[in-house]
Amino acid sequence: MIKKGKIKIPGIALFVIVLYILFCFIAQSFFSWYNFVLILRNSCTLLIVSLGMTWSILIAQTDLSVGSVMSMGAVMSAVMSNAGIPTVVIVICVLAMGVGVGSLNGILISKFKFDFWVTTFSTMSIFAGLALVIANGATVGFENKFYDFIGNATLPGGIYWLIIITALISGICIYVERNTEFGFNMFSVGGCESAAIDSGINVAKNQFLVYLFSGILSSISGILVAGMSNAGAPTVGVDYTFTAMAAVVIGGTPFIGGKGGIVGTIFGTLLLRILTSGLSMMGIAPTWQKAITGVIIVSLIVVDVVNENRVVKNGLRRIYTDAE
Amino acid sequence: MYRFNEENVILRMTDITKRFPGTLALDHVRLTCEKGKVHVLLGENGAGKSTLVKVVCGLYSLDEGTEWYDGKEVNFSNVKESMAAGIGMIHQELSLLPERTVAQNIFAGHEPMKRKGIIDIKKMISDSQAILDRLGLDYDPNALVKKLSIAQQQMVEVAKALSHDVKLLIMDEPTSSLTSKEIRTLFGIVRRLTAEGVAIIYISHRMEEIQEIGDCVTVMRDGQYIDTVDAKTATMDDLIAMMVGRKLGKMYERNFQKPEDIIFETRNLAGLRFKNVNISVRSGEIVSLYGLVGAGRSEIAMAAFGYDPIDEGTVLLFGKEIKHPTPYNCVKAGMGFLPEDRKTQGLHLAMPIADNVVEASLGKIFKRGFLNSKRENEIAEKYINDLKIATPGAEKLVGELSGGNQQKVVIAKWLATGCKFLIFDEPTRGIDVGAKSEIYKLMDTLVGQGYGILMISSDLQEVIGVSDRCYVMKDGLITGELEHQELTQERIMQFAFGGKGATE
Repeated sequence: MIKKGKIKIPGIALFVIVLYILFCFIAQSFFSWYNFVLILRNSCTLLIVSLGMTWSILIAQTDLSVGSVMSMGAVMSAVMSNAGIPTVVIVICVLAMGVGVGSLNGILISKFKFDFWVTTFSTMSIFAGLALVIANGATVGFENKFYDFIGNATLPGGIYWLIIITALISGICIYVERNTEFGFNMFSVGGCESAAIDSGINVAKNQFLVYLFSGILSSISGILVAGMSNAGAPTVGVDYTFTAMAAVVIGGTPFIGGKGGIVGTIFGTLLLRILTSGLSMMGIAPTWQKAITGVIIVSLIVVDVVNENRVVKNGLRRIYTDAE
Repeated sequence: MYRFNEENVILRMTDITKRFPGTLALDHVRLTCEKGKVHVLLGENGAGKSTLVKVVCGLYSLDEGTEWYDGKEVNFSNVKESMAAGIGMIHQELSLLPERTVAQNIFAGHEPMKRKGIIDIKKMISDSQAILDRLGLDYDPNALVKKLSIAQQQMVEVAKALSHDVKLLIMDEPTSSLTSKEIRTLFGIVRRLTAEGVAIIYISHRMEEIQEIGDCVTVMRDGQYIDTVDAKTATMDDLIAMMVGRKLGKMYERNFQKPEDIIFETRNLAGLRFKNVNISVRSGEIVSLYGLVGAGRSEIAMAAFGYDPIDEGTVLLFGKEIKHPTPYNCVKAGMGFLPEDRKTQGLHLAMPIADNVVEASLGKIFKRGFLNSKRENEIAEKYINDLKIATPGAEKLVGELSGGNQQKVVIAKWLATGCKFLIFDEPTRGIDVGAKSEIYKLMDTLVGQGYGILMISSDLQEVIGVSDRCYVMKDGLITGELEHQELTQERIMQFAFGGKGATE
């Protein structure tokens, strides 16, 4: 599929477009500029968490703590804002919290060789708990001009600044993944760790950076979600962890790592949000939506597996003709 | 004794000692390499060859001894340092990233940079092209590695090593998965490199390669240095004697006997890369299946064992058709299968011998589904004695055994199921000479007891040495069948290449 270094359009992109068009026909009032922008807006916070998740899955690991970091970020923003702390300081503190959790995961996993499931599951619990403690168990409302701006301000045409910010961050991440040593090394580390070591790649450093970025991105997502709702909900991130994993896998980065990337994840995220929007507008209850989403994820993976098997078989046949 | 030209010496290692917990892996070993020469490193598995080259390239640090490289005393602490100094290594197992392109693989870990951390992708691709041209390979640098054949991937490994400015290139059994034509290509590349003045350390198990490509040979045994001799004048017997420390008896010992009834048969079998296959194996017979890589011999075995799908035809065991062949059904019908890669397909390396031995026959040994370690150990001990597996006990982990003994554990696993027909896929691959002859002896004993063996092999000597009969394949078809007394290299190759003498 890759030709001469051009950006590859994953098959999932086609599916996203087809699904969108399909909903335009079957869901009432789905097809409108307003709804299109709304879908994009609802994708933003999930996408930013999923960017970090993509990289942790790309190196054949998983960061379970992303949702908790997000909750922490949102709650910290609300509580600190209500305490009258300057916005700059709040943002720095939240980002520092992301750096802190990311570094903690990174050091434990890369330097002390802790299992990533255990490590990130623990930090997930710790910070989910801390968020509840800080918020005193309930959603904290707050008013802050900066937060309100990044969450709710629009450009002419109704495009949210939030979407611009997200697009910018995604663009930077795509560049990092495709053009930097760090980006290349992720594919090596995830593809074959022993080969990466033999190639002189600093595997531990790469793993550390992945968790660091994952932490930072999740904290940014926490800021954005607080801005969107003008509130810090201590459990806002809970659903995000597994939804982000779904977006990544749908986007073509498998849990075995070493292939895929952010571009696919963008479409994976859009797919999930289009589904939510479309199913809601069809009047399907949220209880059913989850089940239907699950069925669609499984079907996509089935298609992918069948496809991959075909490629493998063709590969065998091709070697056969080579031998002639 | 081999005399080095002191002016050209690039690597000199003296009194190298390396300890691992519980073992002395290298015991005062010496190694000297000259520019433009191929230095073959020879020894049985566990002799310390791999450990030694890992010390050379910094994967292991040395405990004692001195390493002089390029006029300086060095002690590399990681691969990055040794690479920077011009030492490249091609590992035995392919270590490429299948999902990345040729260029990305060649420069993995040291991509050309525009600025710190930012990769110059254009330069990376053009540099890759230059290296591929230098090697005379016409691959697209943007092709995904998974789309290349194993042999092509091996060449990419060479290109990867050359992407550094290498002065010393270490090749660890580079030909183990190549056909003879591909080996020619690889040797052409080796000669090109030595002509450019690159020194090469070449690890190999294949005797016939040593004289062809080597300049000098260093033999190691049990972590010790034995001798360095001239590759062109050393005889195979001398080298084997140095490796095993004793003159080897006859490698292939067979007591041929009159085979009995047919126990395994295929009728018009067609599958993934073969068709119209009619072969049979009788009780008391070793039948081999020979063909060049890609001819489809392993595919037949995989299909007969129910691992790969069958498009047409039937597989019969003891005259009864195996309906819906799957590994489960085939084992139940009385088949055993030694896979090509025992480490990943045949054994659980992290489990004890006993557990591995009973794995395929749990249902037969323990009727009610409850394990009984006493009984399990009795069975394991029986096979450890019968097959002469060298181990202190049945509780030893299989991963800690040598290649030959691991292979015996796989055989024990199948014997324990009570099967009578065995498929051996490359039974002696990566096994040292001493253990090879033991495996052959074991195969002979088994057929003496009435077993039937179908052996898939790419080693001509082996095919000629041990087979009662041999089927030769080309391009998915059986092109010839030869009795033991007809087996010569020439006859087999005629059928394998489809030249003179082959039926159409």
